[in-house]
Amino acid sequence: MKSGWFAGLAVAAVILDSAVVPEIEILGARPDFLVLVVAYAGLVFGARPATIVGFILGLIVDAEQPDYLGLHALSLSLIGFASASAWEHLVRGSLFVQICVLLGAALAHDIIYYVVYYRNHLDMFARFFVRFGLLGAAYTAAFAVVIHVLARIYTWRSIAGVTRA
Amino acid sequence: MLAQLTRVLRGNRELSTLLICVALSIMCLVLPPGAQQRISFVLSEALLGHVERLSSVFAEYRRVGEENAALRHIAIDLMTERSALVAYRHENQRLRELVGFLVAFPEEELAEMIPARVIGMPGGRVVESMKIDKGEDRRLRPGMPIVVPGGLVGKIASVFHDRSLVEPLTSASSGVSVITERGRVRGVVKPRFGAASRRVSWEIDYVQARSNVREGDLVVTSGLGEVYPPGINVGRVIRTVEGPLTMSIEVELAVDFSTVEQVFVLTGRAGVPAKLDGLRERLIAELDNERAALEGRP
Repeated sequence: MKSGWFAGLAVAAVILDSAVVPEIEILGARPDFLVLVVAYAGLVFGARPATIVGFILGLIVDAEQPDYLGLHALSLSLIGFASASAWEHLVRGSLFVQICVLLGAALAHDIIYYVVYYRNHLDMFARFFVRFGLLGAAYTAAFAVVIHVLARIYTWRSIAGVTRA
Repeated sequence: MLAQLTRVLRGNRELSTLLICVALSIMCLVLPPGAQQRISFVLSEALLGHVERLSSVFAEYRRVGEENAALRHIAIDLMTERSALVAYRHENQRLRELVGFLVAFPEEELAEMIPARVIGMPGGRVVESMKIDKGEDRRLRPGMPIVVPGGLVGKIASVFHDRSLVEPLTSASSGVSVITERGRVRGVVKPRFGAASRRVSWEIDYVQARSNVREGDLVVTSGLGEVYPPGINVGRVIRTVEGPLTMSIEVELAVDFSTVEQVFVLTGRAGVPAKLDGLRERLIAELDNERAALEGRP
């Protein structure tokens, strides 16, 4: 997968995150396309690009909330680095592994973001996390199946791990 | 210690990138609110503006799609309604013509007109026959003339209980005694079937050469033959060809038979017109009176 394609996907993720995600929420849980992009950036390009992608995407999203400018950038940078580090030690082409990494990345992102956001009301953080965070992380991880199928169809070797005969 | 940290960071570019990003993020977080607002504003204008515009395009696309679906439904409803209105308009126009036609008749003749609906008309080059929805139940009889506001349609050929078969002017066996309104030239209008061209025309037969007939002359029933009353519009002369002995006169019929829906049966015109019937009765009564008067004379 070329980096140009990935940049396009990153922009699409930001658009989808603001335009489509509210429409596809299930029981209040929403998938996090930014986490998806950053985690797969770690898989495809490695830790350094994933960290930068996470920082830039986070900063773009943070522009909507000036009071917490840098919070998304912080959490997504860490997610990018952590997921890339995780991919180093795991079977990248496995769908199960990808689901688990995405689930962990989405949970970690929510924890980092909302702990800071609700730092003075940690009880609210717990309620929010149980009510929406867990389901949202599962929802995000479910997209790994879609991406894995697409990767197999379009032979994105770095994601699918195998090529078609 | 700083030198050692620098050495570690130089050796691990990924970690140093992360630390830089984290440091920048924390810096952003701890900036004074005014500075955060300014940076957000710049970022919003530079990046989010485009993203929001793209998002709004997407939302607009969805809205247009929904609006399009709703408009399609409205369009279908309106088309259905329009079709009904067009049908009503045609019916209204037809009824207006009928009313205008009926008003032109005196009451005693109006009573002799039975309205009927055309319920059958076989397809083909010309209309060979028609079926109407009135029959013996309305005292119709063969030979009764059929008219529409435009002119003469034909006559009843056979009658059933509640149906009648009409022989229109366009039928191959039809022949109507006519007269031109201007020159008072008599003849019989009959169809001519062009075998090669498959064209059907109507011509007036038995007209002497050099008769006073011109293109555009109105052709009406002459009243001869006692089937059709005189003066009913049949058509208009569209072509005249002079021969050595006779004249060939082509006529365009006044009625478009393919569009006839409602007709009137002139019930007093079967064989002996009703008026003549009445006249005969009156004459008989007068003769009886005269006879009685004569017999009563001393």
